[in-house]
Amino acid sequence: MAYALYLDINRCSGCQACVVACMDQNDLMIENNTDGSWRQVFAIEGGGFPENEISYLSFACLHCQDAPCIPACLTGAISRENGFVVLNSALCVGCHVCLTVCPFGIPRFDKNTKMQKCTMCKERIEEGLEPACVRVCSTKALKLKIIDELDIEKDESDQKSWSPLVHYLSVENDV
Amino acid sequence: MRDLQSLVKGKIPGPETGIEIKKSVCTICDPLTQCGLDLYVKDGKIIKVEGSKENPYNEGTLCAKGAATRQYVYHKDRIKEPLKRVGARGSGNFAPISWDEALETIVSQLFQAKTDFNPESVAFYVGYPKVMRPFLHRLSQLFGSPNYMTESSTCYQAMAMAQKLNFGIPGAPDVKNAKCLLVWSANPFYTSTGLAQKILKAKERGLKIIVVDPRYSPMAAQADIHLQLKPGTDGALALAMANVIMAENLYDQDFIRNYTHGFSEYQEYVQKFSPEKGEELCGVPVDTIKEAARLYATIRPGAIMPSASPVVHHTNGVQNYRAIFSLMALTGNYDIFGGNLAEPVSYLYVPAGFASRFEEFTNPKKLSEMAPRVGGNKFPVWSRLVDEGQSIYLPFHIQSEKPYPIKALVAFGLNYRMWPDPDFMADSLKKLDFIAISDLFMTESCKFADIVLPACTSVERKELRCYREKYIIYTQPAINPLYQSRSDIDIIYDLAERLNIDDPLFSAGYEASLDWILEPSGITIADLKKHPGGMPVPNPMKHSPMNYRKKGFMTPSGKMEFKSSIMEEFSDSFGYEGLPAYHPPKYSRESSPHIAADYPMILNTGSRLPMFIHSQTFRLPWTQSLRPEPSADLNPEDADLLGISQGDQIRLSTPKGSIVVKANRTEIVQSGVVHMFHAYSQADVNTLIEADYFDPVSGFPGFKSLLCRVEKLEDRKQRKYIKNEI
Repeated sequence: MAYALYLDINRCSGCQACVVACMDQNDLMIENNTDGSWRQVFAIEGGGFPENEISYLSFACLHCQDAPCIPACLTGAISRENGFVVLNSALCVGCHVCLTVCPFGIPRFDKNTKMQKCTMCKERIEEGLEPACVRVCSTKALKLKIIDELDIEKDESDQKSWSPLVHYLSVENDV
Repeated sequence: MRDLQSLVKGKIPGPETGIEIKKSVCTICDPLTQCGLDLYVKDGKIIKVEGSKENPYNEGTLCAKGAATRQYVYHKDRIKEPLKRVGARGSGNFAPISWDEALETIVSQLFQAKTDFNPESVAFYVGYPKVMRPFLHRLSQLFGSPNYMTESSTCYQAMAMAQKLNFGIPGAPDVKNAKCLLVWSANPFYTSTGLAQKILKAKERGLKIIVVDPRYSPMAAQADIHLQLKPGTDGALALAMANVIMAENLYDQDFIRNYTHGFSEYQEYVQKFSPEKGEELCGVPVDTIKEAARLYATIRPGAIMPSASPVVHHTNGVQNYRAIFSLMALTGNYDIFGGNLAEPVSYLYVPAGFASRFEEFTNPKKLSEMAPRVGGNKFPVWSRLVDEGQSIYLPFHIQSEKPYPIKALVAFGLNYRMWPDPDFMADSLKKLDFIAISDLFMTESCKFADIVLPACTSVERKELRCYREKYIIYTQPAINPLYQSRSDIDIIYDLAERLNIDDPLFSAGYEASLDWILEPSGITIADLKKHPGGMPVPNPMKHSPMNYRKKGFMTPSGKMEFKSSIMEEFSDSFGYEGLPAYHPPKYSRESSPHIAADYPMILNTGSRLPMFIHSQTFRLPWTQSLRPEPSADLNPEDADLLGISQGDQIRLSTPKGSIVVKANRTEIVQSGVVHMFHAYSQADVNTLIEADYFDPVSGFPGFKSLLCRVEKLEDRKQRKYIKNEI
């Protein structure tokens, strides 16, 4: 069964509970730890008063279907498992190549320069639990869905673009 | 086959990992927001936190603050043992002592103040959380002091005063049944996320939402109509909406004829506030005012969702809110399902569908038979309607010693930076003979204390809480209290015994007291202990709306008062007005043009950020990382005019003082306004506000509107991309 993380931008309020829940789940910023949070929330602003528009975007590894970090990794530390892009820390040598190829600047590094990023809470999903960011989300903007249930048209015309497993429902799409 | 390594990595509870889920509640925000917590505990230590799914308020979710519970509980700044001051006040030099010595010192100091002066020379105070309030309230009165005070002197009480002046009993929005919701400067998406969930659900079933807010908040983003008014002009906007409702004959004539007092004078006053005048005063377009007024008056039932503080953090706050709540009367939306229901409080501010002896417990004595309270002579309407002292007036009382001196203070969670001009408060605290403070962390305010007591967090104590969703919980400690810390309530019961308070309830103990309070409901602590995650209130009372038809209103006239009899009583002595009159903020372009010439922008302080509630989560690395430095929110248009880029250093000044902060450009703030979050020790915006910049009716400081100047100091040092802050 393949899953996708789904964000409804119309519901995201920028509360950043997902960021903290991710830190709590993964013991980030505690010891021997990462140089930044795995998940971040961005405010996307525009319009100008009185037509102002602000959207919030909760953002972490997109687990791209065509993930450039997998072939780029020199030691084979990054691979795909049950649909998710995962890291075998034992193989990571901290060369940062993944960061140079990632279009979204996702990889973080711990004090031993080993790469870290969103694991999609694989271990929780395997036990029938939601990822920490989904569980905490009070507006239900973040959801975990089984891919076949996602009502998103496949864009056959643009095979070369990144087609991440994390889907965003934009303001325009939601009527 | 479950792989142990992966179970441990995922923190999966169960016998394999030894992780157990324990139930509690989060009280970092308080009240009405006690999210149920599932604490993942291994070997007596919390390793992860989640929201409880069975709790009907948060339904499994949390906010950024609650999600950081682990860092809150295990923070290195936790006070580990009772301390006594050994250096000068404020030096922060303390020596550890035993609990016995600490409590005996407090007791002897309190007896001394009582003997040398009088019991009212001892003041009692509760900041956050609110769990210990009823117990300290009772202790204070039984000790003989009317000076029980709380941080509600800047939160909630003035909103309640406005409702009490109009209706006698405040009405809370019935979001579940409303068809139209008029949200007046509240942003539950950052303050009560459980409520935000419910609003989103109601929106899905067709709820119309009007939001009045100077900021383009996430709540405003969900609105059908957003009225982005200038800070502090709320009263004028409400009067202009009333003008439209009357001009278009959309008001409830039956309600007005039979149940109101002073309508004709109100009607005449409202004539001055045409929608055009409204636009001029508030900056909201005429058509938007009309559209909002029509929507609220015609889509019925309609509820007004007030906020606890933004509207009353203005120098005309109570009157502005009275004008807003008058709309409820005008449309007959008071105490009806889907409108604002006047449900009785069950326990600790919350109507939860059960009867209790909460009021009897907290007020064992008649305040009218005790000495005048702090601020009592200065704010007579406050004294009439609120059963606490007005703590904002405490520094003035300490300094003047009138009508009697205050000598000692026993406080649970006090932050002197809550007061405008905090240095004045700090100097006043230093004048006291004795201060004891109970807190979680060694705060700046603790440094003024003679005795510091280590309190524990909600997850280390037993606590009774109830919910609007007709749900009740009595928690058990999920972990043992850390170090030598104790529950604030235990400390209060211990003090009561040592003070020889002759009271059967204090003698019987905490749980016996709760059983006594709950007795009318039939709920017992023994029942509650069987349901660690809480339980629905058994056979909840059904509220019968429009109680006023039978019993009238709890106001002097027995009617809803457009013109307040209580306010009029003080018209000669204090200049209060009976009608909900509008006056612009004391420091504004309209009221003080001489100041505005040099300080052209509006300073709006203290609106909630998602990761902080006051100073409480400042020190946690997780929440702090989301907004690492004190920064002021500026509209990009203003920032461009001043040549300010994201992250530049800027100076905010008022005639009172200045602070240096980072600039954060955002459309959340309208042009002409600067927003600054409060309580930062390194850049405390309250130092820019005078101690007596308050609403003369409530004593609430005018935190949300004064005048300021913004100057760019230097370009940011780093040239790399800087994310806009939320």
